[in-house]
Amino acid sequence: MSELEYLLKRKQSIAAWSDRWQAEAARFADRHRDLLPRRITNAQLYGLGNVVRSARRYADIERFIRHQAEKAERAGRLDVQEYWTDLKDALGKLRGEAQALPKTLPLPAGMDHQEALDDLHRELARLYVQHLIAHSLYQASGPKES
Amino acid sequence: MTEGIRKTIDEAIRWMVLEQAIARKSDEYDRLAQEYAARLIATRVDKTQVRGLETLARTTDRVSDITDWLKLRVGRDSRREGWAKEGIGRDLVTELEGLRSDARKIVNELRSKGNAFASDPDLERQVHLRLCREFIKHLAAHFEYLKAERER
Repeated sequence: MSELEYLLKRKQSIAAWSDRWQAEAARFADRHRDLLPRRITNAQLYGLGNVVRSARRYADIERFIRHQAEKAERAGRLDVQEYWTDLKDALGKLRGEAQALPKTLPLPAGMDHQEALDDLHRELARLYVQHLIAHSLYQASGPKES
Repeated sequence: MTEGIRKTIDEAIRWMVLEQAIARKSDEYDRLAQEYAARLIATRVDKTQVRGLETLARTTDRVSDITDWLKLRVGRDSRREGWAKEGIGRDLVTELEGLRSDARKIVNELRSKGNAFASDPDLERQVHLRLCREFIKHLAAHFEYLKAERER
């Protein structure tokens, strides 16, 4: 598979994955709806979005989330700590998704497998968080507008 | 006619059938999109935002990008004068998500006619995206028209 062919197929696979996983990210937001928007604020969610967009490695995202959980623990806000821990687990599990996608998408020759896997994991995490933030804000704004 | 040319022609005909099915649905959406435009015109949503939505729909390869965009605008509209006014943003999200069933019908019909390319597992999602683009295209056109009428 040429690099261009790989990139096009990768893009399509990620798009399909993203549309499929939007509902899962929304369910995560729904499970933690009691914390929104006072315990988990919009500013915190935007901060998460910025980190996920600018991270160069998946470990940077995980470090940020762990730090948020530790801060909440020190402040005695156990429900908030649980939110961040749950998010760390949810995003961590996307590693399995990132491993599954290339099975239908063989890497072009010369591409580093671990690096490609980390890139893919980071990309899936970015999309999951995009869905999570959108749904969290949407849900926190309440169903009845006038 | 060589086998290769026949195959290419068959494929082109199959794509034309799909395009026709999408065009038919698009025409059906026009009236509903006009109703949304009439509701949207009564909010503080401006032309730039509607054009932004249309550009996003035209350029993205994900339906979820479109619904995330709308959800964010509803969520940020704390004064409820824009996308959150009288539930328009929420209704539009539901409407666009609902187009998936139209996409499913189109793909199922193609499959029942034995179109080989309809076996692509991602086709339903891609048709859904196309239908969202069509709906939003009508919405944006009606919105611009109504806006111009108002400003006249």
